[in-house]
Amino acid sequence: MRITSSLVTRRTFLNTLFGGWLLAFFSGSLYSLIKFAFPTIDKEPDFVVLFARDFLPIAPNSVKSFAWGGKVGLFLKKTNGAIFALKGVCTHMECNITYKPEEKKFYCACHKGWFDDNGKNIEGPPPKPLEFFDIIISNENLIIVKKGVNIDPAKI
Amino acid sequence: MRMKAAWQNWLEERYNIDEFKTFAASKLVPSHRYEIWYFTGGIVLFLFIMQFITGAALALYYIPHTEYAHKSIIEIVTKLHAGWFFRSLHYWGAQLAIAVLFIHVFSALLLKSYRKPRELIWISGCKLLGISIFFGLSGYFLLWDERAFAAVRVATGGAGDLPLIGGFIKTFLRGGIDVTGETLTRFYAFHVSILPLVTIFLIVMHLFLVHYHGMGLPRSEENRKHGETPFFPNIFYKDLMIWLVVLGIVVTMATLLPPEIGKQADPLAPAPENIKPEWYFLFLFQTLKLFPGTMLGFNGETIAIILVSFGVLFFFLIPFFDRKSSRGEKSPLFTGIGLAYMVYFIVMTIIGFFS
Amino acid sequence: MIRKFMLMIFFVIIETTTAFANQISIEVFPSTPYDRYIIYEMLALFWAGIIGLVIIIRMKLKEIERIQRMESTEKEEKKIPLLD
Repeated sequence: MRITSSLVTRRTFLNTLFGGWLLAFFSGSLYSLIKFAFPTIDKEPDFVVLFARDFLPIAPNSVKSFAWGGKVGLFLKKTNGAIFALKGVCTHMECNITYKPEEKKFYCACHKGWFDDNGKNIEGPPPKPLEFFDIIISNENLIIVKKGVNIDPAKI
Repeated sequence: MRMKAAWQNWLEERYNIDEFKTFAASKLVPSHRYEIWYFTGGIVLFLFIMQFITGAALALYYIPHTEYAHKSIIEIVTKLHAGWFFRSLHYWGAQLAIAVLFIHVFSALLLKSYRKPRELIWISGCKLLGISIFFGLSGYFLLWDERAFAAVRVATGGAGDLPLIGGFIKTFLRGGIDVTGETLTRFYAFHVSILPLVTIFLIVMHLFLVHYHGMGLPRSEENRKHGETPFFPNIFYKDLMIWLVVLGIVVTMATLLPPEIGKQADPLAPAPENIKPEWYFLFLFQTLKLFPGTMLGFNGETIAIILVSFGVLFFFLIPFFDRKSSRGEKSPLFTGIGLAYMVYFIVMTIIGFFS
Repeated sequence: MIRKFMLMIFFVIIETTTAFANQISIEVFPSTPYDRYIIYEMLALFWAGIIGLVIIIRMKLKEIERIQRMESTEKEEKKIPLLD
């Protein structure tokens, strides 16, 4: 059977075309604006390279901070001389923590969270232990590496 | 005198002045025992206008850059003529605006002024409340001192706990994964350009709708006979008197209690002891504290944020849930819910303040 | 003479109040007692201005209300059918 007249009137055709065109035009423009307004996300570094002479000689039972991307990293030397590096950011609400040498604990002042010197969350709201890093010493460099990342110190 | 007449002539030849006059005379405000709550909206409007003026003045000197932000505010406070006063005025104006805004919202909630056909007035008002809180947070951050830095990290991090869209919102607000100089310029743009524009639009809409529907009447007063007072000049003069007193209060607060400036923010320094958010965030902060770190294997924070979001969404959509008062019936359930919201807000704020 | 005396009293009060204040790193308020005196004087003047304005507006409002009452009673009188 042949339909003698079109099911779509000229008016509906034009309205659909107009509406669709408008939608496409504005969503395209808006998309580019949103793309511009959203930041290109940079991720946290895999490793940072520091001068070993700045960090290794610190007194036992103390910490020294370094920049881990935009956050703070802490270099810890325990009383027995063992060295560690960790992210100095509380796992609760991302406040920066401090080391309390007299108690050998990390403390977050924002919501009174405590971690022991192995980074375990022992008191207060923090849900997870602190993130520790690997330490590689090569020549003059102290390389702090995210756990699980393999890098070749000779290439740095 | 002749000048005035000439000017009046000039206007009358071009505009229908009588139309304006009849319009002004036709605007009536019902007078009853709850009429005092009508004035809270006017006070907020006045404080907003004040914020626009003092804010514009401060923007002449403020520099939104990590190196200079803190220094430029110290410059404003210590070197400029009465700079300390205008910063303080902007600060106290904001505090009072948000306080009165909460009173305004809760009075509308308890008098059920949101009921049909006034739902959109409620919605636009709630949006204005949210925007004002964001105004407060962004303005606080512009100070770029260590407390503001930690507070914004916590607040934007909290938004990041929302499922699905949380990470998206967090990076959008921060301008990256961390709170940095990018965040500062972003918050500056929000504080001085995006939010003010949206605010003006919403205020105009809010006022237009209030004018369109007329002043809201509490249900108990609807069937009772009550007088009507003309807005011009009676209510307007009353508004003016209240505004003057509010101006006096803000100026006094600004003079006697100028806000402190902390140490410049340092992303590597430990968070300062006992940080607390601004008072209008305390109820949220205190709610989050109620939840343990992990709950039933989920992150407690996420659960808390989801619950709070539902609470806020329900508050926002109350006119559509409260079917009884929309039909003009008594709705004690929603009086209870309104009271519960108010009591929760007040109690949590007080607990947060003293803990 | 009185002004000098008031200044003196003021300084004594201010010095004692600030003596116990903790050390503030950044001055958010002028620290010299003279500046402070001027500021508090200004504040008092400002309040005097506000109170004056409020009183004037109140008087105006009362006057308007009086006229409105008069007009409304006139209208009511007009509604009374004339008996003639």
